[in-house]
Amino acid sequence: MKGILRIAAGHLFTAFRERVTLFWFLIFPVFLLAILTLIFGNMGQEGEISFAISVVNLESNTAGPVDFAAIVEGVFKETGKASEEGKEPLFTLTHPSDGEDLEEFLAREKEALRLGRRAAVIVIPEGFNQELLERMMRSGSSPSGNGALTIFVNEGSAASEMATSIIEQILAGVDREILTHIGHFQEGEAIPSETLWVGSGGEELSYVDFLLPGVILMGFFVNGLFGVPGSILFARDRRVLRRYWVTPLTVSHYLAGFSLGHLTLCLIQFALIFMLARFAFGATITFAQPMPVLFLLLGAITFLTFGFFIASVAKTANAGMAIANILNMPMMFLGGLFFPIGGLPTLLKVIVYANPVTYLAEGLRMSLGVQGETFSIPLTLAVPVGWIAFCIFVASRRLSWDVER
Amino acid sequence: MNGENGILMRVSNLKKYYGEVHAVDDISFAIPRASVFTILGPNGAGKTTTLEILEGIREPDAGEIEVFGMQLKKVTRAVKERMGVLLQDGNFEPYLKVKEVAHLFASFFKRALPVDEVLAKVALKDKANAYAKTLSGGQKQRLAVGVALVNDPDLIFLDEPTTGLDPQARRNMWSIITDLKDQGKTIILTTHYMEEAEALSDYVCIMDHGAIIAEGSPRELAARLGQETIIEFTAGELVDGASDGLETYGKSARTEGETVTLETDDLVHTMEQLLAWSREHQVPLKNMAVRQPNLEDVFLSLTGRRLRE
Repeated sequence: MKGILRIAAGHLFTAFRERVTLFWFLIFPVFLLAILTLIFGNMGQEGEISFAISVVNLESNTAGPVDFAAIVEGVFKETGKASEEGKEPLFTLTHPSDGEDLEEFLAREKEALRLGRRAAVIVIPEGFNQELLERMMRSGSSPSGNGALTIFVNEGSAASEMATSIIEQILAGVDREILTHIGHFQEGEAIPSETLWVGSGGEELSYVDFLLPGVILMGFFVNGLFGVPGSILFARDRRVLRRYWVTPLTVSHYLAGFSLGHLTLCLIQFALIFMLARFAFGATITFAQPMPVLFLLLGAITFLTFGFFIASVAKTANAGMAIANILNMPMMFLGGLFFPIGGLPTLLKVIVYANPVTYLAEGLRMSLGVQGETFSIPLTLAVPVGWIAFCIFVASRRLSWDVER
Repeated sequence: MNGENGILMRVSNLKKYYGEVHAVDDISFAIPRASVFTILGPNGAGKTTTLEILEGIREPDAGEIEVFGMQLKKVTRAVKERMGVLLQDGNFEPYLKVKEVAHLFASFFKRALPVDEVLAKVALKDKANAYAKTLSGGQKQRLAVGVALVNDPDLIFLDEPTTGLDPQARRNMWSIITDLKDQGKTIILTTHYMEEAEALSDYVCIMDHGAIIAEGSPRELAARLGQETIIEFTAGELVDGASDGLETYGKSARTEGETVTLETDDLVHTMEQLLAWSREHQVPLKNMAVRQPNLEDVFLSLTGRRLRE
């Protein structure tokens, strides 16, 4: 339909010619990525990140066939070494001093964790080796995780959140190593952890890798929540849409053309942010797989339809911006884009679990392998799809060419 | 008026009420093909509401519209394909170029004229690459007319096309409207300007309070006032008693501020009386004009009010 294509082209032309739109669409997210990476990514050291952790090995029985506790401790010690000269290691490990009582050391480390000086404290408990042996005899899998180890984290800390995610990935790798070692491993059985494996031959996860999916989603979020109703409502206020009203163009054709133009802008925005992250800050993650592409598209469409929803319930552009601002805060900050969402009061958790951003951020990171699985993939897809359906339903009934209609 | 086959649009018993307000109160009229049909009336008379119903923007509460041989309760997409509309208060995306605006609107129709041809029609070819926001008022209005003509419509709505334009731009618009009529297009026009309605219209429908109070050609309507002649002059501030006797001159006389208007069917006799009165009261007859009645006078005689009051 040529009308839809022309509306899309008109939307793109306007976006590239209007400085304010151009800023919010393209400059702001690029800016945000650069600033966050430079500030939090070890002050510009190629986007690397390092977490202060401690490993407390309380296992005293090392006489068994395999000393699993030593393997796990060794792995984390390994991550405490820089892979290349001049580079920060992923973890900075704190050890007990010679002859120090381990329980006292553990208490001291927990206090450091509470004060935010540690991102995590990993405790290998007494009887760990025996426990793992028994588990393997029962199931032949999951030797290191699921309750055998205790990881203390500070729920209010972003560093803890990120470190936990990485530690879980490392443990998945340890599982595989141990299972391979004892001949139980079968291909496809263990959690794939190659990209996150820290040690010889692996790549390090950088802060920019953790940040990139969030910044891309945030770009889509701002475009959808502010850009979409802004464009539609200002055009309506200026009586631009009235002219369409007296032609055969229908509201649904207009929205289809607008969506096409908007998604093209999102694609351009994604390409810019991605190239900046990859070539300027050394991001290593790639989105060229079906699931990340699906989550990116789902994110762009979710926020686009939120924009339609706002445009359909607001009477003027100013009212639309006010609604967008009201939705902005809880959606942006209670969705895990930049800040951890654990440890929140119950009321806020309700918002977190209703927030499509939570599932989109989680699903995108999960599909990219930079975060452990909190929600199932079907759930991370279903919640945004539900919101899309709701927003389209409301917009299709209420959106009009003219507020007086 | 044309015969039955010459009617392009027929409106029957059209009603649109907003609570107690009868915006359009049971009106009926027929619009001949290839003519300029003007709806005239003061603000709030119901002419824009009538036009918006016919354009498909609003739905009537009752009534029927017959257009292009189709009987309708409201305007459909098929009708819009053959209609062109110049809205009174529409606007364009400021960051689109003139030719992009024309292409955009052309894409909404199944059949459209080449954009270059449309821009040439409204004398905007040299502005094809200018942003809409940089156009002057007259140029914007010409673009709006161009957009209304992009589908080569048979029926064109022009809602106050010259409001806010300077005299030169207004004359240009008149020329465009006359050309369209010469091409056989049917035009429905609303305007505040009497001289515009008189110069362009084949048929005038005068509305007041949602109802039609008179209709016919401008000449027919003026003829309703008989063979009267209007004498107007500025009398300055009249001292007490100075206006005595004025009201007896001609058929009627009225004073609005410093302007005195007399209607007479015996021009020579009334002029003699007036000159005698001027000498007696020593009142100079400034800006005196003698003219035939116009649509403003028709409206005045029907309602006792001026159109622009």
